[in-house]
Amino acid sequence: MTERIGVYVCHCGTNIAGVVNVAEVSEWAGNELARDGVVISRDYKFMCSSLGQELIQKDIQELGLTRVVVAACSPHLHEATFRTACKNANLNPYLCELVSIREQDSWVHTDKDAATQKAKAIISGGVARVAHHESLEPLRVPIHPATMVVGGGIAGIQAALEIADAGFHVYLVEREPSIGGHMAQFDKTFPTLDCSACILTPKMVQVGSHPNITLLTWSEVTKVDGYVGSFSVTVNKKARFVDTDTCTGCGICWEKCPKKVVDDVYEAGMNNRKAVYTPFPQAVPKYPVIDAPNCTFFIKGTCKACEKFCPTGAINFEQKDEEVTLQVGNIILATGYDLFDTRRMPQYGYGRLQNVYTSLEFERLSNAAGPTGGNIVLRDGKTVPQAVAIVHCVGSRDQNYNPYCSSICCMQSLKFAHLVHERTGAEVYNCYIDIRTPGKGYEEFYNRLLEEGTNFIRGKVAEISNVPRVPEEEGKLIVQVEDTLIAKQRRIPVDMVILSAGLEARHDARDVAKMFGISCSIDDWYIERHPKLDPVATMTDGIYIAGCAQGPKDIPASVAQGAAAAARVLGKIQQKEISLEPVRATVNQEQCSGCRICNDLCPFNAILFHEETMVSEVNHALCQGCGTCVAGCPAGAISGTGFSNDQILSQINGLLLLRITENEYA
Amino acid sequence: MKAYAYYPGCSLESLGKSYHLSTLEVATKLGMEFAELEDWNCCGATAYFPVDELLSYTLSARNLAIAEKTGLTDFVAPCSACFKNAYTTNKYLNSDPDLADHINFALEADNLHVQGTMHVRHLIEVLLEDAGLETIKSQVSHPLNDLHVAPYYGCQLVRPRKLDENVESPHYFEDLLSALGASPVEFESRTRCCGGSLIITNRAAALDMVKILLQDATNSHAQIIATTCPMCNVNLEVYQNQVNREFGTNYSIPVVYFTQLMGSAFGCSPKSLGISKEIIPKALAKSQMEVIRK
Amino acid sequence: MAVEYSFSKEIGDMMYASHKNPITECLQCGTCSGTCPAIEFMDHSPRKIIGMIKANLKEEVLSSNTYWSCASCYHCTVRCPAGIDITEMMYALKRYSMWKGQFKPGLIGPDFSESFVKMIVNSGRSYEPILAATYLPKYSASAIIQEAITASGLVLGGKMSLFPKKIKRIKNLQNAVRRILPLGDVS
Repeated sequence: MTERIGVYVCHCGTNIAGVVNVAEVSEWAGNELARDGVVISRDYKFMCSSLGQELIQKDIQELGLTRVVVAACSPHLHEATFRTACKNANLNPYLCELVSIREQDSWVHTDKDAATQKAKAIISGGVARVAHHESLEPLRVPIHPATMVVGGGIAGIQAALEIADAGFHVYLVEREPSIGGHMAQFDKTFPTLDCSACILTPKMVQVGSHPNITLLTWSEVTKVDGYVGSFSVTVNKKARFVDTDTCTGCGICWEKCPKKVVDDVYEAGMNNRKAVYTPFPQAVPKYPVIDAPNCTFFIKGTCKACEKFCPTGAINFEQKDEEVTLQVGNIILATGYDLFDTRRMPQYGYGRLQNVYTSLEFERLSNAAGPTGGNIVLRDGKTVPQAVAIVHCVGSRDQNYNPYCSSICCMQSLKFAHLVHERTGAEVYNCYIDIRTPGKGYEEFYNRLLEEGTNFIRGKVAEISNVPRVPEEEGKLIVQVEDTLIAKQRRIPVDMVILSAGLEARHDARDVAKMFGISCSIDDWYIERHPKLDPVATMTDGIYIAGCAQGPKDIPASVAQGAAAAARVLGKIQQKEISLEPVRATVNQEQCSGCRICNDLCPFNAILFHEETMVSEVNHALCQGCGTCVAGCPAGAISGTGFSNDQILSQINGLLLLRITENEYA
Repeated sequence: MKAYAYYPGCSLESLGKSYHLSTLEVATKLGMEFAELEDWNCCGATAYFPVDELLSYTLSARNLAIAEKTGLTDFVAPCSACFKNAYTTNKYLNSDPDLADHINFALEADNLHVQGTMHVRHLIEVLLEDAGLETIKSQVSHPLNDLHVAPYYGCQLVRPRKLDENVESPHYFEDLLSALGASPVEFESRTRCCGGSLIITNRAAALDMVKILLQDATNSHAQIIATTCPMCNVNLEVYQNQVNREFGTNYSIPVVYFTQLMGSAFGCSPKSLGISKEIIPKALAKSQMEVIRK
Repeated sequence: MAVEYSFSKEIGDMMYASHKNPITECLQCGTCSGTCPAIEFMDHSPRKIIGMIKANLKEEVLSSNTYWSCASCYHCTVRCPAGIDITEMMYALKRYSMWKGQFKPGLIGPDFSESFVKMIVNSGRSYEPILAATYLPKYSASAIIQEAITASGLVLGGKMSLFPKKIKRIKNLQNAVRRILPLGDVS
């Protein structure tokens, strides 16, 4: 039975009609394509308008159309519009095909005759194709109401709280013994100079005591299976060697522990902790962990001081890592950032010259709970600096290291300058290329620093030296920089240098992304679905990203992204079930030879292989309909719904028919 | 016995004669044969580039072509400027067939053809990589007694090629000196320019640059400065008195080539290493020998 | 519509190894000038010269001594965050200035480079006394005497020969050079 096809040619105002003779095309289609099933052909000013859509709907009902071809703009814009119109007229939406005679014709050609002929060819192709379309139903997948948030920094905490407060369960997985992330290391936050811990810890406590949040700290995700709505995530809960049911967090164990270890995570190497420890006093959860590689008992079999002194007998050296598999519907990745390693720039002397600090080291130095009780002193622990230089853009905006701007270092450098002024009265020099203060209250903060008498030197520091050339430089660190605003090279003697090091993606970001099935950019930040319009979603349904893991940003932006990701997840959970586009690939099991070439080709890991029957199968929920496997299968055993061989080949035939006989349709 | 295509460069025939002598002594001790290229021409150092780039690369390429004809694989230059020119020319010959065509068209006039197959290396790299620290240590019969040496890399040995991010803080020269029994000092200015040809074209600038190096070496308690390039050596040594006159300082620190230190440690005679040929007044030259021999 | 051939583009085009025009990438951060060991002796810092090139201040740039005071140490090049080969740019300025015959009066560099190339085309090897003619005239009497003392020390110490050396195939070398540059009446 031949189909009954309706063709609708849009003028799009003058966008199409100005170049293509739409009336001629419409008439041509009605006459010449009648033998292919076209029973009606119309042209109209704006097909996407309600009136345009009604035209289609009326014809479907009155003329019993079985297929619809709309020749207008790109499907990107209105495919959904016309499909919905058909659906509302009880025609399966996938029996409607939109061909572009705007982006692919009128907008790219100036020769009107040629453009008109091309429009006819395009429509002819569309008509030939649509005859092979099948009714399809969108896939419906159920959404498990639980969510996993990976990363317990401020972004992850915000996301977890929003979802938990809305009444749904959250698993918050954090690799360190406590949540809090980098924000827990800071002393003050810009521009308000709020105490970081004071604004963070209430949220941490909320997370720790929330009935809807299961906190898995000292844990890492090891495997992710499944797809949106039904992920199966395996988490390795590392052994704390502390029984959390009996531990009260009293702290006697770490007090008595004789083994000191340099804390290069929380304290940025500025202080020691013990082998059994919580990273900081306000840790959530309060239970300590034993750092086995550094614990005397695990190394030599002796000591056990913690066990001896623990009043509740909570130490358990026999504890093993525990693997759990959790079912969740959506996952939010908020894994944060690592700091640029300033040793990669030996000219700045970090590691070689004592009193050169990284930004995180200085945060600890200035923190009241830090190694010096918040006193800003040199490495000797007592000398108060009289001059401090703060170097902007270390490892950022630099083709030799990271080409991007790390977003927060200017504000952070201003904050440091303020703290130094406040606590030491030292002369402060901020050496910068540009001052980037775009956020709310940021420029005003810069003004404040100007008022405080900060010396701003516009110039990227070339090198830091301790070799004096004149007597004033003896015993000092010399910052050599061109003061570009006066075009002079200056050597500034200071006592302390703070390097505002750039932000980098976590060093295992690529591996983590692979595990979750998302991609990283060239700088290893997780890639968002759209850089402008969709910053928290990824190309993988059900996986969201938030915070610095997506790119350097300040705390307000991280919080906003955490909340945004949570909102997206809640939207999915509310629906209980979501639809997925049915454009998917299917393996014809009879033709499949079991070569498995498609398995590795799939960028979404959507193809499974059945060992027992030796055939591959496409998981339609993970499949994005990209077509790679269809092209790759040597047996031609895979075809894509919506892009079957028949459909494509007939569309090509339709396109070419016109050329064979030079303007005459044969 | 591995053979190398040896390109001494103009300086080693005259101002840098002792570098040439000590290089050959050291090579012999380490079982390396340095075969001087026949009829090589001046590499141009920094003097051709202000006139014409293609000319610069062509003149360097002629030397590479002569080396390729010998059938040897390694092109070794003791002078950093010669090294840098040969290295860069070789790199461009390999990456740009157009350039290679142009250059070969010119070289035809001398019946030469360059293919860019030489492995271009600086002398210090050849000694460290091919002989290795262990072999070098084994040849040391007169360890240098913790002599405080300032290892002066100079600029064109380490730049512009960026082997790795350690272009700012190489340490192989210090390793070599330690293997000889010397004590390399913390010499921050070790890759800071000596001024090179500015000693002619902008003497004031060059003298200032030399002064800063001498000042740093002195501050670091160096007893002697070791160089890897004849231009650096000349600037630091020959013009030391001028620096003193210009700035009212009184630096008197001996400057030797690193191969002279190696030769001394290997037990070669001072004469064979060209040590008596230093510019600094005889008294200083004598003290130099004493310093090394101590 | 003719495209204006800016000074920046002219210089960029003279840098063989750089793609497009690297000078446009400069963000004026000042790392080059902060690093340059010869900056105290330059009219304008390297960064400023790049700024002046971009602003099309051709006369001011060519008449400065900055690019002739560059020692080619490449430190700016390896540190430049925009990846500009600043040393090569200085060479390009030198070539441009020699080509146009435009440079600050009293500089030794232009004469020196020209004489050096002529010397090589003549003999194939470098010979210092010939070059002395390029700079001694610009020196003070006491400086000339000082040079003479240094020179005699060098000759006596066997570090400088009295006679220039020629390579064997100098004629071929000259013919090779002729295929690159017009040599005029060099014999």
